[in-house]
Amino acid sequence: MALIDPRAALDWLDSRTGYRAGLSHLLDESLPPGVGWWFVTGSIMLFLLGAQAVTGVVLAMYYVPSPDHAYDSVRFIQDRLALGGIVRGLHVFGASFIVVAACLHMLRVVVFGSYKKPREATWITGVVLLLIILGFALTGYLLPWDQKAYWATTVTINIARSTPLAGEFVASLLRGGAELGALTLGRWYAAHVFLLPAAVAAFVFAHVYLMRRHGISGPVTAAAGEPRPFYPYQALKDSVAMAVVFAALLTLALTVPAPLDEVADPTDASYIPRPEWYFLSLFQLLKYFPGPLEPVATMVIPGAVVTGLLLLPFLDRGPERRPLRRLRVLAPVGTLGIAVAALTGLGLRDTPGPPDPAQWSLMAIGGRHLAQNEQCLSCHQTNGVSWPIERPRLRRDVDWAHLHLADPETIAPGVRPPPPGAMNRSSAEAILVYLRKRRANAPEPDTTRHVEVAARVYARHCGNCHVIDGDGFADGPELTHVGREHDAAWLRTWINDPYDLDPDAEMPAFGDRLDEEEMTAIVNYLAQRR
Amino acid sequence: MERKKPTANDGRRRFLAGLVATIQAAIGGTLVAVAGGAVVAPSFARRQGHWVAAGLLSDLPDDEPTPVTLSLERDDGPRQVVDRHVVFLVKTAEAEVRALSSTCSHLGCRVSWNPASFDLRCPCHGGGFDRTGAVKAGPPPAPLATHATKIEGDQVMVWL
Repeated sequence: MALIDPRAALDWLDSRTGYRAGLSHLLDESLPPGVGWWFVTGSIMLFLLGAQAVTGVVLAMYYVPSPDHAYDSVRFIQDRLALGGIVRGLHVFGASFIVVAACLHMLRVVVFGSYKKPREATWITGVVLLLIILGFALTGYLLPWDQKAYWATTVTINIARSTPLAGEFVASLLRGGAELGALTLGRWYAAHVFLLPAAVAAFVFAHVYLMRRHGISGPVTAAAGEPRPFYPYQALKDSVAMAVVFAALLTLALTVPAPLDEVADPTDASYIPRPEWYFLSLFQLLKYFPGPLEPVATMVIPGAVVTGLLLLPFLDRGPERRPLRRLRVLAPVGTLGIAVAALTGLGLRDTPGPPDPAQWSLMAIGGRHLAQNEQCLSCHQTNGVSWPIERPRLRRDVDWAHLHLADPETIAPGVRPPPPGAMNRSSAEAILVYLRKRRANAPEPDTTRHVEVAARVYARHCGNCHVIDGDGFADGPELTHVGREHDAAWLRTWINDPYDLDPDAEMPAFGDRLDEEEMTAIVNYLAQRR
Repeated sequence: MERKKPTANDGRRRFLAGLVATIQAAIGGTLVAVAGGAVVAPSFARRQGHWVAAGLLSDLPDDEPTPVTLSLERDDGPRQVVDRHVVFLVKTAEAEVRALSSTCSHLGCRVSWNPASFDLRCPCHGGGFDRTGAVKAGPPPAPLATHATKIEGDQVMVWL
């Protein structure tokens, strides 16, 4: 005999809490006939927001909101924590799913005229929820502190600077000071995990409360039949829709790693920042309003759209709900949708593909070679004076790293100049580029000896004055496409002794510094750069 | 009280309710399994042990615990840290060393060698241990933990 009769226990619980009446109130809502699949979008939104909360809590357990540790903590979640990559995938791709689901939900409400009297307040809370969701998206993608995070946020904050009168103040408020850094990350993190979740919870509660208060709007024209309770009839449709959405999200998270660039590098001039796809339309709009017209794209148009959405129930007040009789409302909304889609499409067309971590630049390959020299390895080894060379996290700034790499004994930069014969700035830069690749967990490339030797030469010598693929120093001409202008014979002569071709050349001769293999490798490599 | 006769509609309703519960359980179960797995995973990570050089055998006095501080690198989530462990080395024979943990088996305070009373004493609750790590006094429920040792030439190696 069971010690406790479950039915009696539940009866006791109900007598003390009244949970059955609560559940009944929640689930037995009477729905008008004809409510069907069109009305599942709200439940999908609720489900996706709940899933974001669950995965967000897990991510917050491992994430460290500081520029020194943020990237490494996200890299840890992505690559080393069991199931961490999937949780992060669910969260990152879930954000996109929410934006799509919110737009579909809104579109359904607009087409069905569900915002009309007496549901104006329900609609307004929905528009506010959309803005909160966009706030989540905006604050969320700074958190990994990778290249995309840093540069997209830089652009966002500069857009905020175009706010009339208070632009500088708004930008400073968003940054937490004059520069983007630890204070920025701290406040965006606090907004993402404390303020916005509280706001979304409050507005979801208000939205659902108002929905229940006024009842669901139902089909555009009343359908014949009896009203039916939400549970289990509509609940089944909602559940099936949630399952389909979750299956799609989980499949994406299982098959596609959530993007994570290299660690943020404020000195990188070659990175082309692009926001997430759902902000691309705004980003694209900026291109059509240059200079003093910029506030039109950053403030006037988005402000007008939001105001229009908020006022929609008051602009379209008649009882008519049939879409074809409301073309004066649906036409502008449709035009807006098409415009956003078109701008997003144009933005995507101009967006460079995500950087492929498997692609190692010549500088990174050269750095890999340079980092293996005995001078580095004498200290950087397991249980050595310092961590193995692959493990340092470069918490110091780039200037410190340059100085340390140029003269490893310079632990306090500026105390004394590097001794003669120390590593030059290009070699130091190459090691830094290599270490960033290691930190990004980029797979080691298979390179030919020819490329290895060319990389070594470039990292040691050429990179001091010439840029290739964004790496190196730009004192001389860029060499990224040098093969378009010069063939191998010309390059060999020039590198061997530039004075043979130009008596005014500023470049020193390298004929006596490179052996034949090095000369052939770098000449052939450069000649192929077209 | 007369019970209402079940109708075909009731059966359908029960079936649909079961379907809803099944789908919701599948969604919730999967989400909780993935999220929960990521939460509990580090708890199952096995700690990797290492042999660490702890000092020279010839430097150790006979049968008297000598504290040594050993450093060990380890991963701490996304970070790498150096942990410092204090162990007591006790030379018990010509080529035999016992390594006692300095962590009291009672509540984890740090014990220290008291040459006056010739025992290892815990400052928190007065626990006392002899040179073999056995409990001599106070509340500790178990002896001090020991680490494996080996001698390589004159070097004492301790397994941490």
